[in-house]
Amino acid sequence: MIGIIILGILVILVVLFFIGYYNRIVVLENRIDNAGSQIDVQLKKRADLVPNLINTVKGYAKHEKELLENITKARASVVNAKNLEEKAKAGNELQKTLKSLFAVAENYPQLRANENFLHLQHELSGIEDKVAYARQHYNDSVLSFNNIVEKFPSNLVAGMMKKDGKKYLEIPQEDKVVPKVSF
Amino acid sequence: MAKAHFQDQIRRNNVLSFFFLILAFILTGGFIWVITVAFGYDPFFMLIIASTISIIITFISYTNSSRIALASARAYPAEGAKFTVLNNLVEGLSMAAGIPKPKVYVMPSKEINAFAAGTKPDKSVVCVTEGALETLTKYELEGVIAHELSHIKHYDIRYITIVTVVVGLVAIVSQIMLRSLFWGGIGGRRGGKNGGGDFLLIIIGILLAILAPIVLRIVYFAISRKREYMADAGSVQLTRNPKGLINALKKIEDFYTTKRQTKIDKSVAPMYISDPHKIIKKAFSTHPATEDRIKALEKM
Repeated sequence: MIGIIILGILVILVVLFFIGYYNRIVVLENRIDNAGSQIDVQLKKRADLVPNLINTVKGYAKHEKELLENITKARASVVNAKNLEEKAKAGNELQKTLKSLFAVAENYPQLRANENFLHLQHELSGIEDKVAYARQHYNDSVLSFNNIVEKFPSNLVAGMMKKDGKKYLEIPQEDKVVPKVSF
Repeated sequence: MAKAHFQDQIRRNNVLSFFFLILAFILTGGFIWVITVAFGYDPFFMLIIASTISIIITFISYTNSSRIALASARAYPAEGAKFTVLNNLVEGLSMAAGIPKPKVYVMPSKEINAFAAGTKPDKSVVCVTEGALETLTKYELEGVIAHELSHIKHYDIRYITIVTVVVGLVAIVSQIMLRSLFWGGIGGRRGGKNGGGDFLLIIIGILLAILAPIVLRIVYFAISRKREYMADAGSVQLTRNPKGLINALKKIEDFYTTKRQTKIDKSVAPMYISDPHKIIKKAFSTHPATEDRIKALEKM
């Protein structure tokens, strides 16, 4: 009799353990998707602003044709990217070209005085920060997910659900420079 | 300390809120009981009236907490081109924290400070002073906002709200009791049983009425200081840049030690990133000393 009760309790414990981890894994995976779509929203916003920016710059900086073409190309590859990884990579590329445009803009005082240009510059640099934050949240979410998928005993449940660890999003090269902190 | 998972912290906050409410109820109920018995009234009747009133007041203050906090700060919503940077920072950091963007408000004051309020992440507000916007660099402001967002993410705001409301309420109730005792004492006791034994009860009642708010405050402040360290750690987790928050804290400390003035009301001070009231007794301070916070941050 006691044996049956103990067995019953054990079975219930195992079932509870299974349900707990199953739900946790689902929640964490959804969080990654949500984080990914946040990045997507920001990248799309940036891509939408680019044509407007190019039109503004065109009138002032006629000698930067090549740079503007590069930006248009980079934008197109963001729009055409199929998955998040590709999109993020293309987004980094677009970011780089935009940066060089804003650097070049220093040579055109009239452009720098243009209100529309200034507004776009502000907007785009805000988006750059948001992309970085969103990517951080994405990678944090991947970390929590990978932890539960790989750690024992939750890895047993993850194995049954056929879940594997996810890949982190790459951080663009220049961002990797660790800020100098001296104490 | 920085490793503690925020889920655990949310759970701890809920448990602590619950026990705090129980403690407040027992203490307040205790002195109401003793005093009414001492006067020969029916304690049950008084208790029922007192708890009904407290529950109503608690509920109203709880659901309107962010509005009350904003009103006491005379804050206005951060709208328009002037606050683009601020709004972008809050939006970005909320993304990094994985919470909905709170409403952003600005407090018209030269002080450097900020607070978060609300009952849960999707109903929360962040408020910074004009002084903070003018004096702090972008990275310092980022550290401060990230600190407030960690309070929101960890449900600290709900706990702080409950506690602020309850501490205020208990203080009011004990005031009312002490006053009625005073007037009752002068006017002579109606229906009192007769001398002797009542006197001791009245003394106990007075002691309880005086001690209850103090005990609650000490308990609350002890927990509140720990929470600040957690929010500092959470801030660094979001910004990955301890230096920003360190510099901001230094500037805040500097401001309050040189200017020595504040418009921030004492009752809402626990909500702010740094307590503007230089209260000497450590047991009564809502925030750890800034140096201690900076030391902890530098270890990260």
